[in-house]
Amino acid sequence: MTGAEPIIEVRDLVAGYGERVVLDGISFDVYPGEILVVLGGSGCGKTTLLHHMVGLLKPLSGTIRYWGRDIGRMDEDELATLLHRVGISFQGGALFNSMTVGENVGLPMREYGNMDEEMVEILVRMKLSLVGLANSGYLMPSELSGGMKKRVGFARAIAMDPEIMFFDEPSAGLDPILAAGLDELILDIRRLLGVTMVVVTHELESIRAVADRALMLDGGKIIFMGKVGEAEQSSNSRVRQFFDRRPDAAIGEQV
Amino acid sequence: MDEASSVARVKNTSTVRVSGALADRDGERLVEEVSGIISEGKKDVSVDLSGVEHIDSRGGAWLALASLAAQKEGGRVSLEGARGEVAEFIEMIRPVFEERARPAPPRKGVFETIGGKALDAWGELTDACGLIVDAIYWSFIAPVRGRGLRWKAVTDEVNEMGYQAIGIVCLINFLLGLVIAMLSATQLRRFGVEIYVASLVVIGFARELAVVMTGIVVSARTGAAITAELATMTVSEEIDALKGMGLNVAKFLVAPKFLAILVVMPILTILGFIMGVVGGFVLGVVFLDFTFELWWEHTIWAVTVGDVTQGLVKSFVFAMIIVIVGCHNGLRVVGGARGVGLATTRAVVMDIFFIIVADMVFATIFYFIT
Repeated sequence: MTGAEPIIEVRDLVAGYGERVVLDGISFDVYPGEILVVLGGSGCGKTTLLHHMVGLLKPLSGTIRYWGRDIGRMDEDELATLLHRVGISFQGGALFNSMTVGENVGLPMREYGNMDEEMVEILVRMKLSLVGLANSGYLMPSELSGGMKKRVGFARAIAMDPEIMFFDEPSAGLDPILAAGLDELILDIRRLLGVTMVVVTHELESIRAVADRALMLDGGKIIFMGKVGEAEQSSNSRVRQFFDRRPDAAIGEQV
Repeated sequence: MDEASSVARVKNTSTVRVSGALADRDGERLVEEVSGIISEGKKDVSVDLSGVEHIDSRGGAWLALASLAAQKEGGRVSLEGARGEVAEFIEMIRPVFEERARPAPPRKGVFETIGGKALDAWGELTDACGLIVDAIYWSFIAPVRGRGLRWKAVTDEVNEMGYQAIGIVCLINFLLGLVIAMLSATQLRRFGVEIYVASLVVIGFARELAVVMTGIVVSARTGAAITAELATMTVSEEIDALKGMGLNVAKFLVAPKFLAILVVMPILTILGFIMGVVGGFVLGVVFLDFTFELWWEHTIWAVTVGDVTQGLVKSFVFAMIIVIVGCHNGLRVVGGARGVGLATTRAVVMDIFFIIVADMVFATIFYFIT
């Protein structure tokens, strides 16, 4: 990973809502081909960070660069063009309930791709095969279970063959078998399609399974960045508490 | 460039060899070559992928298109020699190479369709009746028996449905009063009895116009709001949460709205009635130059307590229609955001339809008993 130019550079990002600062000056890079896991307790700003990285929210200060270009200085069209190379998988799938599964996955292709209808249908079916739902294209989202919705969300995120993918809590709220299946899916997609990934999660098992590198947020700062194995040996008590799954009170006793 | 792809048929065999990454241009070529071999009467075509190092989803799609094109002509494409990641990728997208096995939509006969519709309608009717019974029970009987009523919710609803609507109801009825007065004045002028405009406006508004206009304004304002609120609660599982806590939906949501609208509708109707008559006054006194006393005399002389009662009775019925239709549509919503929109539209259309039908029924009854 060293030596390669980073795809995304985040510098001194300060973000918040109104007066409340959620992220207080954080900087990191994302390198091509890696899976970077952003972790931290509930409410530490993981999702806020993700929303800033894909331009849904504007930072209070600081810059986010993709391939060296600052997205804060792009106009709407430039940002949209950039986002064609980015796939986002939202927490609950965020499927359009009024469309079938197939139409959901085909939506970006039909809107941007100027492809033949035949090609679109094959590609939709292929993306659904990749997530193991080849024959579910005609179903409505309301007919799917939570895990299936997430997988369709994945399929829609990879519809345009993105170079970078963001996953928001990919395995949260699923049983361990499904969660493991989704982790494997993330690894498969990375290996076969060569996608760079940023995964936001707080599921320990997931983190251990998929992460090349981990970045831990707490109190608006990065308190750890490096390999997961190193995090478990970290001298920072907050980081160790997270990996040992100890509740807050235990820390008080320790001190 | 080493990335360049090529597609070539191996001479005198039914094998097509692909190498490099399969680009779009060569994808079309691949489909042509495969179709060409099939049209020669050979059924089994093999595609040799041993020279392919990397494959992306477009490349995979072209392979699938070639395979499907062959199947359409009764042939078969076998993919051979794929290695490593390419083989793995093809394995993962295997279902794409087979004809789509889509379950045929169940076919329905004419009678089945009619029967299904009738059952749906019957189901809706019984649901709505159940809702009416529940609403009446939780609004009037349960509070008396000490099972409680959410008074705070009722007053909130009265504020929202009534107080906030006073402006628009008054304005619309006033303007309508003016319009009706102008319309009738031009006709009655021919007979020189423009003074009867006063009687016409007051009777029209007492019996018919105030309550119908108010009903339509309230159904567009409050009826739509009720449906949207309950439908959103339904799709976001809030209704399930209420039921899960053992709370009664009729008590918690329907009864406060039901009571509030029964208070609000008659008051709004009376306000609307007064404003309609004021509209008539403005025309008569300001534009037709009648004296205030004369116009007032003809107004009072024409209207009876019966006329006003007729309007008030209808206002209660319209109020019930609006709340029941609103709640019913909100609670039976399916689908997400679009479902909420459809339910709201349906509720307002049903409100207006039932208001006009009920109005016609009343008109018929009063026509024959008076």
